[in-house]
Amino acid sequence: MVEPVNSSLGKMLLEEVSPVVMVLCTPLVEETFVKNGLSFVETLKPFCNFSNIDVPVRTSGDQLYRLKKFTLRLFYASDIRQPNIQVAKQRLEHLITQAGEKDFQDLESDPPQIADILSNPESEIAPTWFQHYNKELIRTLSFSDHEAFDHPVACLLVVSSKDEEPINKFVDLFNTNRLPSLLNDGAMDPKILKHYLLVHDNQDATTERTSKVLSEMRSTFGNNECNLLCTNSSKEGNIEHQANPWASFKSDVSADKLGCALTGDDIVEIKDLMQEFASRHVIPYMEQKVRELNQQISATRKGLRNQIKNLWWRKGKDDVPDSTKGSMYTFSSTESQIRILGDYAFMLHDYELALSSYRLISTDYKLDKAWKHYAGVQVASHLCNYVSVEEMMGLAYFISDQSKKEAEYCMENAFSTYMKLGKSGFQNSTRCGLWWAEMLKARDQYKEAASVYFRICGEEPLHAAVMLEQASYCFVLTKPAMLHKYGFHLVLSGDHYKNCDQVNHAIRTYRSAISVYKSTTWSHIKDHVYFHIGQWYAIVGMHEVAVRNMLKVLDCGYQSKATQEIFLRDFFNIVKKTGMKHEVVGLQLPVINMSSLQVIYDDHRTYASQASALVEESIWQSLEDDIIPSLNSGKSNWLELQSKLLPKKYKESNVCVAGESVKVDLEFRNPLLISTSVTSVSLICELTPNSDDLKLVDKEPSSSSLGPESSTEHNQGTTSGFSSFTLSEVDFTLSGGEKKLVRLTVTPSEEGILKIVGVRWELSGSIVGVHHFQSVPAKAKTAKGRKKNKLTPTDALKFLVIKSLPRLEGSMDHLPETLHAGDLRYLVLELKNKSDSPIKNLKMKISHPRFVSPGNNEEELTTEFPDCLKKGDGQTIVQHETNRTSSVFAFPKDISLQGDRSLKWPIWLRAAIPGTISLYFTIYYEMENVSSIMKYRTLRMHYNLQVLPSLEISFGITPSPSRLQEFLVRMDIVNRSKSDYFQIRQLSTVGCRWGISLLQPVDTILPSKSLLAGQALSCFFMIKDCKKSETEEDKTMSLPPSQTDVKLFTQDDDEKLFDIVNSPLASFHESERSCQGASDQVNPNTVDFILISRLAKSSNPSAVPDLPKILSHHSCHNRIRSSNPLSWSLDGPQTIYHDFSTSLCEVKLKMIIRNTCDKLATVSIETNDYLPEAAAPSPSSGNQSGWRYVPTVTEEMKLTSDVMGSRLGKPPSSMESSPPFIWSGLSSTKVPIQPMSTTEIPLQISVFSPGIYNLSSYKLNWELSEHENASSSSSGTCQGYPYHLTVLQSE
Amino acid sequence: MIVCVSVVGHQNNPLYIQSFTDADDALKLHHIVHCSLDVIEERVNNPKKSGTTLNEAFLGLLYPTVNYKVYGYLTNTKVKFILVTTDLDVRDTDVRSFFRKFHAAYVDAVSNPFHVPGKKITSRTFAQTVSNIVGSYGLN
Repeated sequence: MVEPVNSSLGKMLLEEVSPVVMVLCTPLVEETFVKNGLSFVETLKPFCNFSNIDVPVRTSGDQLYRLKKFTLRLFYASDIRQPNIQVAKQRLEHLITQAGEKDFQDLESDPPQIADILSNPESEIAPTWFQHYNKELIRTLSFSDHEAFDHPVACLLVVSSKDEEPINKFVDLFNTNRLPSLLNDGAMDPKILKHYLLVHDNQDATTERTSKVLSEMRSTFGNNECNLLCTNSSKEGNIEHQANPWASFKSDVSADKLGCALTGDDIVEIKDLMQEFASRHVIPYMEQKVRELNQQISATRKGLRNQIKNLWWRKGKDDVPDSTKGSMYTFSSTESQIRILGDYAFMLHDYELALSSYRLISTDYKLDKAWKHYAGVQVASHLCNYVSVEEMMGLAYFISDQSKKEAEYCMENAFSTYMKLGKSGFQNSTRCGLWWAEMLKARDQYKEAASVYFRICGEEPLHAAVMLEQASYCFVLTKPAMLHKYGFHLVLSGDHYKNCDQVNHAIRTYRSAISVYKSTTWSHIKDHVYFHIGQWYAIVGMHEVAVRNMLKVLDCGYQSKATQEIFLRDFFNIVKKTGMKHEVVGLQLPVINMSSLQVIYDDHRTYASQASALVEESIWQSLEDDIIPSLNSGKSNWLELQSKLLPKKYKESNVCVAGESVKVDLEFRNPLLISTSVTSVSLICELTPNSDDLKLVDKEPSSSSLGPESSTEHNQGTTSGFSSFTLSEVDFTLSGGEKKLVRLTVTPSEEGILKIVGVRWELSGSIVGVHHFQSVPAKAKTAKGRKKNKLTPTDALKFLVIKSLPRLEGSMDHLPETLHAGDLRYLVLELKNKSDSPIKNLKMKISHPRFVSPGNNEEELTTEFPDCLKKGDGQTIVQHETNRTSSVFAFPKDISLQGDRSLKWPIWLRAAIPGTISLYFTIYYEMENVSSIMKYRTLRMHYNLQVLPSLEISFGITPSPSRLQEFLVRMDIVNRSKSDYFQIRQLSTVGCRWGISLLQPVDTILPSKSLLAGQALSCFFMIKDCKKSETEEDKTMSLPPSQTDVKLFTQDDDEKLFDIVNSPLASFHESERSCQGASDQVNPNTVDFILISRLAKSSNPSAVPDLPKILSHHSCHNRIRSSNPLSWSLDGPQTIYHDFSTSLCEVKLKMIIRNTCDKLATVSIETNDYLPEAAAPSPSSGNQSGWRYVPTVTEEMKLTSDVMGSRLGKPPSSMESSPPFIWSGLSSTKVPIQPMSTTEIPLQISVFSPGIYNLSSYKLNWELSEHENASSSSSGTCQGYPYHLTVLQSE
Repeated sequence: MIVCVSVVGHQNNPLYIQSFTDADDALKLHHIVHCSLDVIEERVNNPKKSGTTLNEAFLGLLYPTVNYKVYGYLTNTKVKFILVTTDLDVRDTDVRSFFRKFHAAYVDAVSNPFHVPGKKITSRTFAQTVSNIVGSYGLN
């Protein structure tokens, strides 16, 4: 804590509560001093502050003490009166305005950081002019009646030596008419100390006359009271003073001129004069007066006796009505005397005495108050007296460093009493408040000081503004700093300043407030501050700064729409006023979503469409693995080739081709609720042309490597056409809160290094927003490639532009978006190369060979689809040996594209499975005649297909029990679609092995002719294995192929069947085969079916032109399934003639057993020599169906059926009576049978008499085992089939 | 009547501020709330002066402005609740119970897994709950 005397309040008190010297001088004196640019009082003023006067003083006590610091206040007599409030106000206003202008220069700079403010020393936080202001404010109250410290202590009468009759002048000067009212109306003692001064002007007065006058004076007024002052010793009047003593007192005049006629000696003389005046005259006079008064008062008031007397006396006084108007306490009243005593003691720094007198008078006043309540008018002035004493008491407590509490109590009491007085007491309360606040500040009670400042705000805005600002600085000084309040009070103060048109001050306070709010998220407040400071800057004409501040407000999406409109309107108004285009880096309107940044460009990889560019690179890479030529080693790629040609620096940068545009996708978002139109959105780019020596590129020629500051210029150059690249410009409007993805392009036309620096846009034609891409987050998916190389974001936006190359463009015609499963389409792939240099060696790879099959030659389609797929027309039916193991399709070598010629290549599409399918095509091509670092390019195409479910087919094949070569096929069809109807056209088996035939007429299968949505259907077919054995294979091949197809519709008999062995159906079937089953080699005994259908009625009428014409459904690897793993037949003669007389008849039979399952089977035949009773009827009943008749003659199918028919006609009637026979040969045989193979077992029976024998009395015991170890084996028994053998007696 | 309630994060960042007046005094209320942060800090740093015990979240009357009374409440996570009211005679118990309810609502709101701590509370349910609480006290 600072010592009270050295605190600012202490200094202030020393200055303000000091003896007043009234100056009376003649006009000629003034004239003398005007030469120096100063009045007489002003000339003396600097020399009235004595820092070490060192005068011994003895007041009440016996103790002598020495005065160190002392001040005299000099006033002209005319100034010694209560100042006019209006004038004072104007003066204050002037002071503020001046201060505002002085600070004006700083306002352009950015607001200070809050940390800087806090680290500033205390004295620098508040502007210095506050002290002047406070002083002025206090001075408006000076020279009131009751405050004795403002009463003149001495009178200085000054006469110039040039004056006529100087002695008379002296007398005239102290004429009562011209004296201040204080002396005249009795408020103070008119007998005051007089001192006479004769001024001698060395420039134009003679010394003789002066000395004569002086001596005359001395004889008249006494030797001690007269002095001579010689001035203006310098003849030329051009002396310049170092450290001009007047400079701090007169600020508005240039300091050089002040005191120009005064030499150093003159100044010393003035100094000495004042010192002498103070120490020899004023102080002793006061000292004496204090002693006098003290004695007087002690006699009347001090001591117990006097006090009692006083009380009594007062009571007596009650009866006397006090009718005197005006000041009741004249200088001669006891109260006034005590007051004077107190004040004088205060001024002489004898605070003890001052305090005791104040206390005395205070109690008096308090008692007085009790009866004075009725006196109406006088209450106020009485109170004023009382409060003033309180105030002084507080100050005295403070300065004497006594009881803190007392001091505060007194000040508070005084303050609140003043406040109670209302308007009349306001000025007093202000002064009291200021003192109080200073007192609190001296004691580090800043918070309390702030609240005092706050309380003395009053109603007048300017005054309030200053007080609020002072309060705010107090909050900063509080430990810890209360920054929130600091900001708030600054804002309040700024508003008040603005209300009185002190815009400079308003800006200053708001500017300080910004530092508080800048880093916070209190956006409401922030917007308010920025917006208003922006407006005010505009008022004072600093549009640049205004715009800068207003910019902060633009991102105000949370504000109400009306507020946003106001913000924007004012902002644009200000911008317009500046009359120029403002380029703003990091403009928040609209907001750019940097994570949406996506760069799409073509290097060796070109993209057919936007969609294909967005596909992940790895998909393409895996697709292109086979077709991209590998260089020296497997690892190297085109980049390494490049590295041989290019300096390392560019190895990492992306490559793009001159003439081909680089596209940048960027998302703009409007943060506001009002729609905003954004115009001229374009990229900011730099293109550094390749110099001959690539190393020189490092220097980056100044023509195009412009910094971000001048990028506008650069782009303007671009539009004017000299630049080496073209930019696209986009205009769009964003409605409130809308987001828009905008595509911007840059097309370089020269080789070099292209850099995309940022993006720029215009708002309402006057604000140019610029956003630089440097701050791209690394995770942004910038370049579409080279994920291996970790590119920095700036690298990702840097391109090496190479010479223009041919570029293949491709499109897929007639590609529908939605398909039905099985839908077969004919598409045309159209390829174009617009450049003149040809390309060659085209290759294509397709991601889904199951879905897509390229045609074999260009424009192969002669008849219209789907008729071209039908049989007939003598077309050679050749099953193409399509080797689709590698899905790379190479176009014929002789194809070379250039110019306007386009290549149309047929493509077959079949939607294999339902779902959403992404088809990827990549076409590889090489450039001819181009010596470039890029040898080849690829064209990437990507299409999405939606495949709807349609028919679902499944097959069940069961072997015919009696015939090894025939199988029953059950086909289940379910229409899985939601609402589409399908017509079934044709069912075919694939390959020549299986013949298919209907079991029922076509009409009975599906009377309604089309399969409704959700409908299921089962129908039966018979298939026949045309392949008998390996030896007879050549015969099988000769079977007519028509047997493999069955027509399943009847309306149009002329319609030809579809040719399933021809491409594309065959090739699709091939891929279906490979997709549907992997066990191709393992099991050759499977059947593949193709069902061909067409859409009869679509749910979607709009899709009529897009109706699928043909749908093919492939079902592969259909196994023959039965409950029995074995099928067998007994071969042997039907009828035997034998002469039983000679011998018994032995009949040789042959059993063929086929293992129909894929496991190893072990079969044992067990024969039974007696016929079981129960077994007989069941085979006979089975006989009726005709299925159990295995034809014995297998060579001729027709004959077999004849035999079968004849046997069916007459079933044997005497089966039961058949005589027994004996199985001869092996009664039990165990034979292993490999999966899907047949074995023959020879059997023999012995028959003893003629008859018809049923040879079903055997059993087949089978056992299946997975491997050699029969751990997981299954086994079973099969009863033999009836086999009737007729044995007749031979003749 | 309660004119404003607000939630201020531990870094003195506003998380939620809602006024319940018809007049367009959002800015003023923002300022009042913002200023009261100083008082809260002071209270927290000098618990003896304020007379409240350390364990209590309720900070009592922060300061009376000309027209308003401002009450504060500090949660364990240093989140501040500030209540601005125009009622001149408010019982502490009422304010206490108000803050308790408000705290519960706040806890519910930040327990939402989609709420990002330290970000503004945008929950509509929270807003509804708060206005219900405020409404129930406005009747007294």
